[in-house]
Amino acid sequence: MLLARRNLFRDRTRFLLSILGVAVSVGLILLLSGYRAGVYRQASAYLENTPGSVVVAERGIRDFLGTSSVLPADALEAVRSTTGVDRVIPVVSQFVIFDLHDRKDGFFLIGYDPALGGGPWKLVEGREPTADDELVIDRTTARQHETMIGDQVRLVDRDATVVGLSDETTFWAGSVAFARISTLESLLRAPGLRSFVLVTPSPGVSPETLRNRLAVPGTEVLLKSDVVANDAKLLARVYDAPIGLMVAIAFVVGVLVVGLVIYTATIERRREYGALKAIGSRNRTLYRVVTIQAVIAAIVGAVVGVALAYGAGAMLMAWRPQFVVAVEPAAVVIVLASSLLMALLAALIPARSVARLEPAAVFRG
Amino acid sequence: MSATLLLARRNFGRNRVRLLASVGGVALALSLTLALDAVYAGVASQLTTYIERAGADVWVAQSGVRNLHMVASSLPASVVDEVGAVDGVASVTPILEATDTISAGDERAVVYVIGLPASAEMGGPWEIAEGSARVGPGEIIVDRGFATQAGVTIGETVGVLGGEARVVGLSRGTASLLNSVAFVSFDDFQAMRGHAPVISYVLVRVAGVASAEAVAADIERLVPGVTAQSRTDFVAQERLIVTDMSADVISIMSVIGFVVALAVVALTVYVATLARRRDFGVLKAIGARNRMLYRVVLVQAVLSVAVGFAIGLAFTGLLAFAIARTDLNLELAITAASLVKVGLFAAIIAGLAAILPIRQVAGVDPAVVFRRGAPA
Repeated sequence: MLLARRNLFRDRTRFLLSILGVAVSVGLILLLSGYRAGVYRQASAYLENTPGSVVVAERGIRDFLGTSSVLPADALEAVRSTTGVDRVIPVVSQFVIFDLHDRKDGFFLIGYDPALGGGPWKLVEGREPTADDELVIDRTTARQHETMIGDQVRLVDRDATVVGLSDETTFWAGSVAFARISTLESLLRAPGLRSFVLVTPSPGVSPETLRNRLAVPGTEVLLKSDVVANDAKLLARVYDAPIGLMVAIAFVVGVLVVGLVIYTATIERRREYGALKAIGSRNRTLYRVVTIQAVIAAIVGAVVGVALAYGAGAMLMAWRPQFVVAVEPAAVVIVLASSLLMALLAALIPARSVARLEPAAVFRG
Repeated sequence: MSATLLLARRNFGRNRVRLLASVGGVALALSLTLALDAVYAGVASQLTTYIERAGADVWVAQSGVRNLHMVASSLPASVVDEVGAVDGVASVTPILEATDTISAGDERAVVYVIGLPASAEMGGPWEIAEGSARVGPGEIIVDRGFATQAGVTIGETVGVLGGEARVVGLSRGTASLLNSVAFVSFDDFQAMRGHAPVISYVLVRVAGVASAEAVAADIERLVPGVTAQSRTDFVAQERLIVTDMSADVISIMSVIGFVVALAVVALTVYVATLARRRDFGVLKAIGARNRMLYRVVLVQAVLSVAVGFAIGLAFTGLLAFAIARTDLNLELAITAASLVKVGLFAAIIAGLAAILPIRQVAGVDPAVVFRRGAPA
């Protein structure tokens, strides 16, 4: 233990390098997984913040974000007249692209009825739309495009006035915008269009019971939690492969850096290890010395890395507020454990050269 | 210079583990950036397949709509005849389009459903693997990949647009990472959407000599409430969706790849220099100047980065090749722009990595070589 510590601290630059290596690697893994968690959290923000625990969609549609659902004309009435239904929020949703500042920005446009609900849950400035040419847009998006309340924006083929700014409505590929249902009906040339209905059961009725009771022809009735999970699956197809790949690379780099540093430290202290062997130390003792070095570097590095992830996440969110980095405690625990694994793998690299060391090496010049 | 090269190479070649770690680290980090670029370029090219293969020279959409994906275009049905009457227009085909889900058993997939008129001259599937290329009432053509996954064959029914349709054909090349394209009859589509007299896009074929751009401009001038774009412009707009919306993500990932590669190369070069302090001492003792030693270090860094870059490129190419052969609807397109960017990265990394050990080299005492038992 003493030897390991001495070996490690003898060359401060090298020790710092190994800590830095682990820290960068751990920080990167945390940052990436935090980013992924943030993407999912943002994706479900609308559903999570809108009242209702049962979602009625077009038959065959089980997600909220990926598709344009069209409900049968009589579906809304049928839902309303079902016993056990307390509150009904009809919404129309459509992805639209705004060409703002010569750059395309995605808007998930929600049409809602202010009297029934389903609008912005955190209106930070202004008011809800009261006319068909009015919009509520996300505060961050507005700031980025230097748009203020009262400004006109181009909504596909018409002009609309921004009357309110909402918070928590940024999105993986843009942001959520709100308008009245009639605005979307006219925009999409589809009078009477309803995409989804969010239903709150009466007190005493469980969401599952209501889901089973709501048998409206041409519709799919789902628990809100299932819809959120399906949306996450949709996003996973886009995000999980690249993020997984990068986490793996970050991990390998961490192992490489720690392994390399300890390897050189071992090589340079060959004489000392040789001396240890000469006075009767077994290989096991030497392995332990090497492993302890790796573990110390990994633990210190991991702690620095966690701090780094929080710092970088905060910086990223300040620079581009539409990115939400949610570093979760569970992820921190996993990463700390993986840094130990990193250390053990890294210790394998110099182990071979320690084992092969001849005790006599110490007596040669 | 050749002596420098020799020394740098020996310095590196001496220790295989270190060489492997260094080159491997660089390769890993650079292929991270390369692969990411390739994924996005591949998605962009998948997004535009339908536009490029539909056979239309000009696309007419609702005013302000410049894309096919992530938007909805709604035009009154009356514009079809108005567009058809414009000079230079040889033929027109209206289509309906919506993002929907097709389902068969427990399998469901996101699709762009295209409603095709019976007399459609454009907009249909361009490559049929099995069955018919035409859809009549109650019929649907789905991507072969979906059919295989869901286990449906021709003659069976799938759920679409809130109803059902019988599979009459399987198309090829109509799937992307996110979704596939399915074709149903125009009348079915309209019926499922409440018979509204609305269409999504008008596909236009221009007469022999006319230029698509000029006809598109004429259409926009003569027909109110539409945006008309030539196929080339439409494709370019579609590509912008990917590049504009993923620009921030790409730059963040690129920075990460850059930092990782830099850290690995800097560390290995530093460590290699440290371990060969004696050699450098000998060189100094026989009269080598610091400048020459710096050069050795730099060459070392450049060597490992160059080899790492080559391996990273080969790895990404291999990955692209392998993925193209799987059922994954993922396409990796390595573009020249991304090669230049990553190559530039690599050069900067090599330069920066060589700076770190400079102090070490300069501080080497020539006398070190004469001391017994100096660190190896």
